[in-house]
Amino acid sequence: MTRQDIVNQLRETMRTSSPDPIDWDIVTEETTIGTLGFDSLSILDLIYDVQQAFGIDFEAEELVNINTVGELADFLEETLKA
Amino acid sequence: MKKLRHLVEYAAVRTFLMLVDALSLRAAELLASGIADIWFSAASRRRGITCDNVRRSGIATDEMKVRRIAKASFRHFACLIIDSLKSDRYLTPETWQEHISLDVPPETLALLKQPDQGLILISGHLGNWEIAAQALSFIKPVVGITRDMNNPYTNALMKKRKPRNAFTLTPKHSANMGRLLKTLRSGNILALLTDQHAQHGMMVDFFGISASTHTSHAMLHLITKTPMCFGYCVKTGPMQFMLKASLPITVPRTGKRDEDVRGILEQLSRELETAIRAYPEQYLWAHRRWR
Repeated sequence: MTRQDIVNQLRETMRTSSPDPIDWDIVTEETTIGTLGFDSLSILDLIYDVQQAFGIDFEAEELVNINTVGELADFLEETLKA
Repeated sequence: MKKLRHLVEYAAVRTFLMLVDALSLRAAELLASGIADIWFSAASRRRGITCDNVRRSGIATDEMKVRRIAKASFRHFACLIIDSLKSDRYLTPETWQEHISLDVPPETLALLKQPDQGLILISGHLGNWEIAAQALSFIKPVVGITRDMNNPYTNALMKKRKPRNAFTLTPKHSANMGRLLKTLRSGNILALLTDQHAQHGMMVDFFGISASTHTSHAMLHLITKTPMCFGYCVKTGPMQFMLKASLPITVPRTGKRDEDVRGILEQLSRELETAIRAYPEQYLWAHRRWR
């Protein structure tokens, strides 16, 4: 999976996970995940959906310090490589 | 004006605590039962909600039985407060097993006794959930989530007063994902109640009627794979309890979030219903589960 594939898949996953209507066309790698409608509860939905979409298991705690879409893509890129 | 009201409430609670401390367990329970009976007679709105909930559950249809269960539930709740307040005298690392017997399957007991194993324990407003958490904390640290009281003076008093052992309460506003994950990762029990109304929850049947239910415990179970059990602690006599727990919940995963969450919540709801049917008078029917 290329970096762009990961970002595209991530954007699609976030679109279905987010409880809020978001203009996804303006979402970039620099966008903070907190501004995409995720709160402390719906972030759990996102983690589940990411695990399913990418077919990977990871410790949810590893995501605690991730703030932006790009940082999440970095994490997924590394996890998929491993 | 608000501060004055809070101070008056604080003084009343403090006086009540002094009275409870001065009385024996039996006398305090008798007093609490008497107050509960007066409360049941006087609080017509709350009594109405309670009886209506018993009726809607289908546990009782005969009006005499409905009223009997509702009144017993009021008494049970009053005694729950007394037991919780007095438990520090009875529940110590040396003596807690004289007061609490365990009815827990070996598989669940093994999880409880495994030091680094986190566990999500789900219960309801049945029996004494405060005593349940305290008892379990003698085996493994327990973390619960609570909402602070509106009165800051009473809130501080109760926090200082309540015996906890290794049972800690996290205020709802600071129960973020990182904290909950750390709780499980540290090998603690995360204890949550499944029968609280959720503002943005999933509609799940409770006694055949849809009730908005929190999904966070199911999500935590799904994403962390931490074992989840249902449990509750019923009163069997004066300061005597039986702590019951289920086998770890196993629901086949579909890979679809809503279906997986629904499967777990429905199983937990069924477990709670079964437990309530066995001890209807120990359920807090006064709380508005169906809104």
